[in-house]
Amino acid sequence: MKNFYIFTAVAVVVTVLAVLLVPGVDDYVERTFQVYLGRAAR
Amino acid sequence: MKLFKRAVIVVICLLLIPIAAVATAGAKQRFEDGPNRVFSGGPLVAGELHSGPDPDWGFVSEIPTIEMQLLDPAQSRRIWIAEYENKIYIWSGYMGNSIGRIWKQWPIQAERDGRAVIRINGVRYERQLQRIQSGDVLDGLTATITGKYPSATTRAAVEAGDVWVFEAAPRS
Repeated sequence: MKNFYIFTAVAVVVTVLAVLLVPGVDDYVERTFQVYLGRAAR
Repeated sequence: MKLFKRAVIVVICLLLIPIAAVATAGAKQRFEDGPNRVFSGGPLVAGELHSGPDPDWGFVSEIPTIEMQLLDPAQSRRIWIAEYENKIYIWSGYMGNSIGRIWKQWPIQAERDGRAVIRINGVRYERQLQRIQSGDVLDGLTATITGKYPSATTRAAVEAGDVWVFEAAPRS
């Protein structure tokens, strides 16, 4: 379980850095979020 | 029981990844000049500030979306716009359900303080948002909206509070 927690922490940090620094990732996240939000609101 | 507890922890940990992605993207957009899609952007800074009489708003029929910023709070979002009888209108759907009202905070904020700036084709216009809840103007306006967008907006939906409509009037 300890390894899984480490994996999760690393994955969260990598995700945050990717959204902040890699061009297009933030837009991809927002586009995907928009799809699910639209479905939930209907 | 122990296995179930572990499964719950694993699911929560895995959910943290997309939650972090969405939260980061939303926070990042707050520092941008304007919105992108659903996340609010920062104040509209770039672009000439229009002064003088209103233009002929007919050109917005060809504009799919505009950027709109309230002064309080100073956040911007991308929204649809319609022109009817040379007045411009913006609106928000999904206001009849709880998810929509959590998602769409700007109509509630705009009703409290309607001072706004809109940016169309790179030009900023100072406006005063005035909510319209009833009246014959809604017949023509909703026909314009449904003719322009894939929208089911009707006068009845506006009067029922499911759709909040605002005229973006000149700010005096």
